[in-house]
Amino acid sequence: MPVPDIGQSIVRMASFTGKELREVVRRPGVLLSLIVGPFLIMFIFGLGYSGYREPFATEIVIPEDSNLPRDPEYYADLAPGRLDVREVGVDPEAAEGRLRNHEIDLLIVAPANATAELRSGRQTTIRVAWNEVDPVYAQLAGLATSILVNSLNAEIIEQAADEGISFAEGELGPAVSNVPPGVIARPTTAETENVAPTEPNVLSFFGPAVFALVLQHLAITLTALSLVRERLSGQMDRFRVAPVSSMELLVGKYVAYAVLSLAVAAVVGALLVGILGVPLLGGWLIFVGIVLLLTFASLGIGLLISLVADSERQAVQLSMLVLLASVFFSGFVLPVQDFAEWTQYLAYALPVTHGIGLLQEHMLRGEVTQMWMLAMLAAIGLILYVGSLLRLRRVLRRAD
Amino acid sequence: MTAPTTEPIIHASDVTRAFDSRVAVDNLSFDVEPGTTLGVVGPSGSGKTTTIRMLTGTLGRTSGEIRVLGEDPMHFSRRTRGRIAYMPQLFSLYEDLSAQENVGFVAALYGIGPFRRRRLIRRALEVVDLVDARHRLARDLSGGMQRRLELACALVHSPEVLFIDEPTAGIDPILRQTIWDELRRLRDEGRTLLVTTQYVAEAEYCDRVALIADGELVALDDPEALRQMVFGGDVLQVDTDRAVDPEVLAGVDGVANVRQTSPRTLVVTVTEAASLTPRIIDALRAGGVAVAGIEEHQPTFDEVFTGLVEQRRAVRGTSAQDRSESMVDARA
Repeated sequence: MPVPDIGQSIVRMASFTGKELREVVRRPGVLLSLIVGPFLIMFIFGLGYSGYREPFATEIVIPEDSNLPRDPEYYADLAPGRLDVREVGVDPEAAEGRLRNHEIDLLIVAPANATAELRSGRQTTIRVAWNEVDPVYAQLAGLATSILVNSLNAEIIEQAADEGISFAEGELGPAVSNVPPGVIARPTTAETENVAPTEPNVLSFFGPAVFALVLQHLAITLTALSLVRERLSGQMDRFRVAPVSSMELLVGKYVAYAVLSLAVAAVVGALLVGILGVPLLGGWLIFVGIVLLLTFASLGIGLLISLVADSERQAVQLSMLVLLASVFFSGFVLPVQDFAEWTQYLAYALPVTHGIGLLQEHMLRGEVTQMWMLAMLAAIGLILYVGSLLRLRRVLRRAD
Repeated sequence: MTAPTTEPIIHASDVTRAFDSRVAVDNLSFDVEPGTTLGVVGPSGSGKTTTIRMLTGTLGRTSGEIRVLGEDPMHFSRRTRGRIAYMPQLFSLYEDLSAQENVGFVAALYGIGPFRRRRLIRRALEVVDLVDARHRLARDLSGGMQRRLELACALVHSPEVLFIDEPTAGIDPILRQTIWDELRRLRDEGRTLLVTTQYVAEAEYCDRVALIADGELVALDDPEALRQMVFGGDVLQVDTDRAVDPEVLAGVDGVANVRQTSPRTLVVTVTEAASLTPRIIDALRAGGVAVAGIEEHQPTFDEVFTGLVEQRRAVRGTSAQDRSESMVDARA
């Protein structure tokens, strides 16, 4: 078997690389949207999303025979920023009607004569109701309620303790009053500290995630469209006749899109760090390594799509499906660990899941502890490369 | 260029290609000698592109044998691939690349390095007269220029064998002539060409012509022989000074057929035009008619093709009738 001419192979691979880069450069609109687009999205996201959520419009019902406070400000202060206590009333049915009519978000009904019930050794129930279909908001409502209920419990204990101390003072003398009822009700307080190297910030946290998602989508879409166009235009027949191998074709395209992704990553990364102020605590070299591995794995998905799609429309649709799956399962919105175990396999099959994890860790903590994610990116890339190579070989040989 | 050899550069024997139950090419056989042009002529959908794709190895065959440069196209070696070129029927180059970049890309596919490439690109563009348009993007070129660009891409690596699928489809007559001039020049350089066309008149430009219809080979010969095959000899057009009775020429030895196209015009088929022209003039004069003009009539290839297809249909009809009658006889 004759030894293939390495020089000629390099020339062929370079021809694909040059062609792909030229084609992208000739479409300045595409190039502009590739570089400026992701930056703009992150910029608008950073400016527009404050993390602030409107407090829940809340109504509290205190039965007439209860000695709990009736001042709305008192309850609003129990869960600061989370509750907007519109009214403290006495009619639970009327309040429930307002909840069903979406006039309020949250309804809390305190138990009747809670202190007396406590003294009698009986547990009372605080009824809490909300009218929400958004699971995130429902979860937040539950959290706000839990804070409020804890505070109410403490308040009830404090009132009972106050009564108990007054009684004991009369019987045992003034020494008993050295322990204030507030300390009895709340014997500990919390002093919080975040030991992470960067302060949690919406833009900083989501910046690397958007960056990873954009890189993956860019690589998939460009590659998927590139090869599917060549298949549909009849260009594949030229490749079949010419002395070009599927490996030369594939490597040429990989190099082109790796160069392109690195260029986009460099520009967007610089804007991200330089203008949006997202920290980059780790070194540039590892950052480039993560970007390259993420691109390598993503290109494989794009090539595979281009080899199975029958039209440009189908290629775009499949690319969008991958994007949708990435948004839901990659940890971009919800933590991967929150999903059922079998769903997590799907999540970890997506390059962006590892890209987000690695970039967030590297940029915000300045370290890469999850080495298995690097290995997974390399493995996904390698498997997809071999799969694309075999499929392309079939496409180029197919003459049936 | 091609080493002297008696072996045909392209050999096809009983080649058939079926798509499910539809037979696109049926038992096609032909050879193409080195340094010649074979024109595969036929109407749209007759199987020309299927044939050329089988010959280049981009499409498999159902049965039959094909050899190009001594190799089966389905198993071309890299070296052989480097010796052939294929120009597809549709424009498949990159619209966002300039004419020069497109030719350069194809040159690189053939492993031509950047320094040698520059000279070859220029030469290929010169051949198709696109040097001035070399910096224009392919999408900005006219349809004719895009066809010429495709041709430049096919030529850039100096192939020995060219498979060219309908180079003149949708192109104006003047440009068609230019392209055929170029193809003939390539043939004169010693290259072997297989060119398909749906323009029957273009058969004239080929050394040999394979007329195909419905995937079958109707005729295979050089253009002049095909004319002879259809009309049974040379054809003379005779104009007279007054109305003439075609019977006047009935007894002239060597006259195969006389057809009157107007009262003063006869189309006469003769075995050999040069020797029979004086005899025809004499016969007409003897019949009291003077000859106003006489010239050899060159039937167009449209006429030749129509004649061949009609002959084929007639033969098939007769065969079918014979078979039908045989069956009746057998039953009787």
